[in-house]
Amino acid sequence: MSNTDSSHHDDQIGHIVPIKFLVLICCILLFLTAVTVWVSRYDFTEINIAEMGIIMALLVATVKATFVGLYFMHLRWDRPFISFVFVGSILFVVLFIGLALTDTMEYQPEIIKGDTPKVTEAMDKLAH
Amino acid sequence: MANLSSLLLSTVSTGKPANFWLSEQASTVAESVDLTFFVITWICYFFFALIVALLVIFAVKYRRTSNDITVAGPTHNTVLELTWTIIPLILVVVIFTVGMKGYLNLRQAPEGSYEVSVTGQKWTWTFEHPKYGATQVGELTVPVGKPVRLLMTSNDVIHSVWIPDFRVKMDVIPGRYTSLWFEATKVGDYILNCTEYCGKDHSAMLAWVHVVPEEEFEPAMKKLASEYEDMSVGQLPAYAINRLYNRCQSCHTLDGSESTGPSFKGLWDRVQPGNVGFTSGEKLSDLLGEATVYEQPENYIRSSLLDPQKHIVKGYLGSMPSFQGQLKDKQITAIIEMFKHLRDVTDAEGNITVNTDGTPRQ
Amino acid sequence: MTTLNLNNSSDNYLNHTKGIFSWLFTLDHKRIGIMYLVCVLLAFFLGGVFAMLIRFHLLTPEGTMMTQDQYNQAFTVHGAIMVFLVIIPAIPAALGNFVLPIMLGAKDVAFPKLNLFSWWLWIFGLVFFLIALASGGIDTGWTFYTPYSIDKASSMGGVIPALIGAFILGFSSIFTGMNFIVTIHRLRPKGMTWFKMPLFLWGTYATAIIQVLATPVVGITLLLLIVERSVGIGIFDPAMGGDPVLYQHFFWFYSHPAVYIMILPAMGIVSELIAVHSHRHIFGYKFIAYSSIAIAIFGFLVWGHHMFTAGQSQLMNIIFSLITFSVSIPSAVKVFNWLATMYKGSISWNASMLYGMSFIFIFGIGGLTGLYCATLATDVHLHESYFIVAHFHYTMMGSALIGFIGGLHHWWPKMTGKMYSVLWSRVGWAFVFVGFNMCFFSQFMMGSKGMPRRYAQYIEMPQYQIYHIWSTVGSVIMALGFVLTLLYLLHSIFGGKKAPANPWGGRSLEWQCSSPPPWDNFAEQPEVGDCYDYSVLEWNEEEQGYDWKKDAAHPGE
Repeated sequence: MSNTDSSHHDDQIGHIVPIKFLVLICCILLFLTAVTVWVSRYDFTEINIAEMGIIMALLVATVKATFVGLYFMHLRWDRPFISFVFVGSILFVVLFIGLALTDTMEYQPEIIKGDTPKVTEAMDKLAH
Repeated sequence: MANLSSLLLSTVSTGKPANFWLSEQASTVAESVDLTFFVITWICYFFFALIVALLVIFAVKYRRTSNDITVAGPTHNTVLELTWTIIPLILVVVIFTVGMKGYLNLRQAPEGSYEVSVTGQKWTWTFEHPKYGATQVGELTVPVGKPVRLLMTSNDVIHSVWIPDFRVKMDVIPGRYTSLWFEATKVGDYILNCTEYCGKDHSAMLAWVHVVPEEEFEPAMKKLASEYEDMSVGQLPAYAINRLYNRCQSCHTLDGSESTGPSFKGLWDRVQPGNVGFTSGEKLSDLLGEATVYEQPENYIRSSLLDPQKHIVKGYLGSMPSFQGQLKDKQITAIIEMFKHLRDVTDAEGNITVNTDGTPRQ
Repeated sequence: MTTLNLNNSSDNYLNHTKGIFSWLFTLDHKRIGIMYLVCVLLAFFLGGVFAMLIRFHLLTPEGTMMTQDQYNQAFTVHGAIMVFLVIIPAIPAALGNFVLPIMLGAKDVAFPKLNLFSWWLWIFGLVFFLIALASGGIDTGWTFYTPYSIDKASSMGGVIPALIGAFILGFSSIFTGMNFIVTIHRLRPKGMTWFKMPLFLWGTYATAIIQVLATPVVGITLLLLIVERSVGIGIFDPAMGGDPVLYQHFFWFYSHPAVYIMILPAMGIVSELIAVHSHRHIFGYKFIAYSSIAIAIFGFLVWGHHMFTAGQSQLMNIIFSLITFSVSIPSAVKVFNWLATMYKGSISWNASMLYGMSFIFIFGIGGLTGLYCATLATDVHLHESYFIVAHFHYTMMGSALIGFIGGLHHWWPKMTGKMYSVLWSRVGWAFVFVGFNMCFFSQFMMGSKGMPRRYAQYIEMPQYQIYHIWSTVGSVIMALGFVLTLLYLLHSIFGGKKAPANPWGGRSLEWQCSSPPPWDNFAEQPEVGDCYDYSVLEWNEEEQGYDWKKDAAHPGE
């Protein structure tokens, strides 16, 4: 039952995304991957923003994740509640990582730099 | 607010001995911590009494008398429900604020605090007084009435310093510095516990904080710092067994009994001729002598202290930490002398028989 | 609805099919619930044995029975069994599995095979814990703090199997949560809107959200720990530039919501117990329902309060302390609503209600002592002392476990079709209640005075011995209570009176099918009304149970 009905009822069982459409999305994702690789090599010192490379990479990754979520994960055509659950989970991840990393950054001044005996030992072994 | 605080404080034991809930207060911060504690306690008493009273009264007054069901009573009352939501909300904000103020005080050491470096290592506490170059193991001497700041780190796993009578606590973390401060208000001895589980002897990892009068403090420190410096070689075993052995005792016994590491009893009798087998299959006797690993058996002892993983005695796990940086040369010599003369400073049951100054112990 | 003449029904879920494999591979939620119940109770007794070893050992300052290593293993295994094998699954998987579909008038949960798989995962988790005990034991504490748990030379060898076991148990929990969420969303009967559900279902739903959202985090944490210990990647190990405190963030992000997994279903049960056994409509239904969700959500924002002295920054400490207080408010609201429900009720003093009331008493103490823990200045002093041990036993054991036992007594006639002895159930309750308070209240006192936790000996602090003795005596009384409870419950199976469909006069749907329920729960779709309106019921002396009044209007008419 190949259904190319574009009315996109949420509960309609058997809404099938056309293959061509999925391939198109895949091409977009591949293109964005290429963009990420290019960004990682480009020298951003002309634009005076710190960590521009990382910001760009994360932005591109977010766009890609959105495409994956909306189209590959069918969220575009599902009930809004499903998207709510998905986005809500992401928010919890952000909460967790955000608070944990904030704490880590706050106590960085107390870390004893260079006190890593196992690393030193391993480096010594490598050197010999 | 200040009047209310002093009113509350006067009902609370300030610098007073132990009460139903808490031990004696022996530091300045203990006062504000205890004040917070009692603010919460009275709120708890009130609400608990209320809850239990209602519970018991209702259970008794409305006890079921017949199996007939008659509908009675309200099913909701918005005003009441909002009231008992908002009043607790206000109370908890009060509690939070009082607690936060006390906490900030706990974290902010006064300018010019006397600094002590603390190292936690399974399972002993080592305290260094950088100002005097003195080291104490298992005990910490501080002057009364002066703020003291402990700068702490661990050499292995996470430990924690808790001095209950001072109401201070802070974890001691490897690879990182943490700190706490206190100002002792009473002369005396106070226990310091490790309160972060760290393995086998966690419950034995304690120290005693000796709070001494100000005029006694500096002389005590100076005496400690030079304790071994002026000693002759013959005096070193007595010094080592009293002052340094504490760091070994969690893994090495004096009476020959099995533990995490080899017993010290009879150790030198085995080491000197090289009668020790290692997990690598080698024997110490093969490694002793000119142009080999250890010129003298003393060098093996020295190496065991500074680089214990180099040769691990057969039959043991190899969990001995390094004491690099923690022992001065003369202290290492003292330990070696202690091994050589262990029979002079201990008895057959492993008891220490002399004091640090060489006088016999009762 | 016709009065169901159900006591004559001889075909029920217990005897519908026979043979051990019809149980081990059943898809019937009721049988799965019973299997969970048996397993959880066995695990509880095993964990209890370790608890008694601990309490007897601590009678003297030097320790009476065990070496330090053995003691360290004892408290680790006690904690790991009780948290992972008992309290987290107990109410949702044992009672929830049985009751939830019937309360919804459904034939089963949404995913019966997933349900069975959850139970088998519990069994695999147990197997790995046993392997852990056999392969060197564990002595890290159930919290597995780094770097101690990473250090193979220090900590015992059973760590990795134990972590694998916990990982598997996590999935058991996640799948149960998923099942319940879908069941509650999709299988509610016509007429049962969200705000017509019994409050036990609200509690279970809130729990299920936490199970699904939080448990994966501990799964990943345990995996990282396994990798760190076996291979050494340097994420938590400071000797390699890692951060041991980061482990605590990872661990507590799950383990704090986990305690709400333990308490929310218990609170749901208490709502049922208080309402049914007072024959009073629950007071403030909406507030209680919302508070369950509020507790679930706020519970995710407060994990740092386990780390106030762990080296967490001052900023984070203040934030976490403030938010922690927010969780106390919905809990307080519930307590007041339950008390208001008892007002002008007809309060039965049977075991279920005694446990329900005990919950209010014990949770009152547990919750109020949480205030000390949430407050920064006091928690610095109290952290890692026996005060904390007492606090979490009052909440996890005295409240969650008591709620479980209360629910067990409440639904026992439904599950087994038998009534237990009224007298012995009260005696058992008395032993448990008195013993529990004796055991743990003295721990508050010694904790605030300075007795640290996880101590195998307290030679230098003999002043605490009297508290330890008091605590041990209490634990013995409590243990006797549990043994007594087990005995009279078992006896009821073989020699108890037959139970009517509705012995207590409940209005939720599970009381409209026979005791025990038939294989498929309901022959016809039961009728949904106000599940707290008891006025339509009347006592039937012959049945010794409740029936619909002959002239009562039926919902929908």
